[in-house]
Amino acid sequence: MEINKIMESGLMETYVMGIATEEEVQKVLSLKQEYPAFKDALEQLEYDMEVLAQSMSIEPPAGTLAKIEHEINEIQRRNQAVQTAVEPEYRYDKPDQENKQERYIEVESESNQMRINKAWKWVFIAVFVLGKVFLASAIYFYLENRQAQEQIKELKIELKQKIR
Amino acid sequence: MFKAVLNNPSAEPKDIRWFYDQYAPMLLGYINGIVQDHQQSEDHLVAILTSFVKDVVLQEKSKLNIWLELRQYAQSKLTLFTAKDHQLKPGPSVNKGKLDLLDDSQKRIFCAVYYHGKSIPYLAATMGCDESEIRNQLKLSIDKMRRASGN
Repeated sequence: MEINKIMESGLMETYVMGIATEEEVQKVLSLKQEYPAFKDALEQLEYDMEVLAQSMSIEPPAGTLAKIEHEINEIQRRNQAVQTAVEPEYRYDKPDQENKQERYIEVESESNQMRINKAWKWVFIAVFVLGKVFLASAIYFYLENRQAQEQIKELKIELKQKIR
Repeated sequence: MFKAVLNNPSAEPKDIRWFYDQYAPMLLGYINGIVQDHQQSEDHLVAILTSFVKDVVLQEKSKLNIWLELRQYAQSKLTLFTAKDHQLKPGPSVNKGKLDLLDDSQKRIFCAVYYHGKSIPYLAATMGCDESEIRNQLKLSIDKMRRASGN
């Protein structure tokens, strides 16, 4: 039978090894749908490749799982934060929430924006006002100083004239 | 399995543990076959498993057999190592499993494809034989190891 010939051709092996061409992949997928025997043989081969990988496995050191769990939970927390931020806009625009999940746009969770407490507003106002006060004081003392310098110059000239 | 795990607000440690127990030792063995350094392999294991969950599982892109997908994903993340031409045989630090059943030529072909993702035309050109011979040797080596596992 032709299907047996195909199964013996090495096509399935090329596919499970991940080096099949696009054309070969399409052929495998269509044969898988068409012939149950091919599908069974392919699934058996995939299973056997797992068994083979198990025979070459190495036990990871303790603590590896904790690291991975921590990383995954961090990603989920970030994704949740993004979803929470996007949700109210949808509620305002469209009241039906049925396909809300599908309408989300993928966004980068890392942002160059920074969120800070509103109390900092008063600190920034105070810093701004103090800045203005210091600027005014600096101008005032600069003018005062210039005036004093001029007076000193005049006094010196007067003094010199008196000495002569 | 992972769809169920990762749609939860906080992934259940039990399910992640199941995935880890199932695939992490296999993946570490596979990565070590490519990288051939235990410490580096362990670092890559954490990075690859985490990003696999993020890029493939969270995005629900997985359509293939999960081990096949995970293996191809790892290979794509280790192109710095897989691009090397000179190291097509398993190094001394690799857990060879059933590789010792293969003769030198079969071992070379199998490792080049399995660990380095080398294509059949590439191997045919490198080894100076035709593509059908490479394909045949690859099938024979897989069959040999499968038979040794009792299949």
